[in-house]
Amino acid sequence: MKRAIELLVIISLILGVSLLLTFASELLVPSKDIRLLALFYLFTAFNPRIEYYTVSSPEVVTAIVWDYRGLDTLFETSVFYLALIAGLALARKLYTETYSGEVVSGGLSTIVKTVTRITAPMIIVVGASIGLHGHLTPGGGFQGGATIAVAPMIFIVVYSTMFLLSKGVSSSRMLLLRSIGLLGIGFTGIAGFLIGLAVNKYAYVFQNLPKPGAEIGLPAYIGNVLISGTLWFFNFFEMLAVAAGFTIAFTVLLLARREG
Amino acid sequence: MLDTLVLISRVLGLALIVLGGIASLIGAIGFHRFKNFYLRLHPLTITTIWGCVYPLIGVTLLTITLSELGVYRWFIAGASFITALIVLFLAPAGSHAIARGVHKSKTARVQPCLADLLDSELCG
Repeated sequence: MKRAIELLVIISLILGVSLLLTFASELLVPSKDIRLLALFYLFTAFNPRIEYYTVSSPEVVTAIVWDYRGLDTLFETSVFYLALIAGLALARKLYTETYSGEVVSGGLSTIVKTVTRITAPMIIVVGASIGLHGHLTPGGGFQGGATIAVAPMIFIVVYSTMFLLSKGVSSSRMLLLRSIGLLGIGFTGIAGFLIGLAVNKYAYVFQNLPKPGAEIGLPAYIGNVLISGTLWFFNFFEMLAVAAGFTIAFTVLLLARREG
Repeated sequence: MLDTLVLISRVLGLALIVLGGIASLIGAIGFHRFKNFYLRLHPLTITTIWGCVYPLIGVTLLTITLSELGVYRWFIAGASFITALIVLFLAPAGSHAIARGVHKSKTARVQPCLADLLDSELCG
């Protein structure tokens, strides 16, 4: 009897959700005008024919994230930074992070350690390629940095946090790297504006390539290599900042022990 | 001569992909049927090595012969081969770490047991 009721409830839930989805797909179709927005982005993201309205980035998502709505992303990065600072401030008496010079042993077995030593450089290389090719292929600074941060994470799990500290990966150094990343993002944001001040011409804050009325901008190509103006620098500094930030978070979370 | 090589490469690639599908099915059945934790790790590794590494090598063999894909076939073939190598490294290390961790922490007992030379308390 109980099983039959359970079965009835499950079947009616599934049927109800399917009914809802059927009607929702009838009612909640966005108007066709919204497709013009997507067409606009696809048309302008990489288009050498409209020199003053393009981002010169084949990857439309990165173009939108760091150019069309660049200020939003700057504030997102700042929020992540502040959250990390707040987390460190909250846990500041709960962990000690001095490497006492003791010989680090233990961890998982030799097999796992060897495989980790082989794969960790590969993880860092893949993360760097995701981040530095962010303006060409899907990915970007945040994704690349998050991938790089997996390498210290598996070192913590397979070896120990003390091993990571003995190699010089401490949270103060990571915080320095993270601050360098954030400063780099800030300076890249106002780079066009600063060049405009230097040569006495109009330029916008957060300007990428030259725009009508503001001829100052970063070059889309260096030599023959496409860097899409500011996008490459934003991705690079964001990658540094995110990799260092996640490393701090993992280290502090997994170093949860009180001395004495 | 070249045609024969292409034919061999394609047939071998397709055979490896089909083999991967069959091995995944066998692994899934074994995962339900085996009696204890350590035995169930065995079909788990069957699905990762036979069901993932060999089909990826099959994809490599298949795509390098497909000239319709143009330059991109080298990307697909290379990425598949590197992925196969990495899985070949990682899957045994992962299952080894799981088995060792579970045995050392005495989480799962060896049942039915003939002999457990590492820790006889866990036997039976």
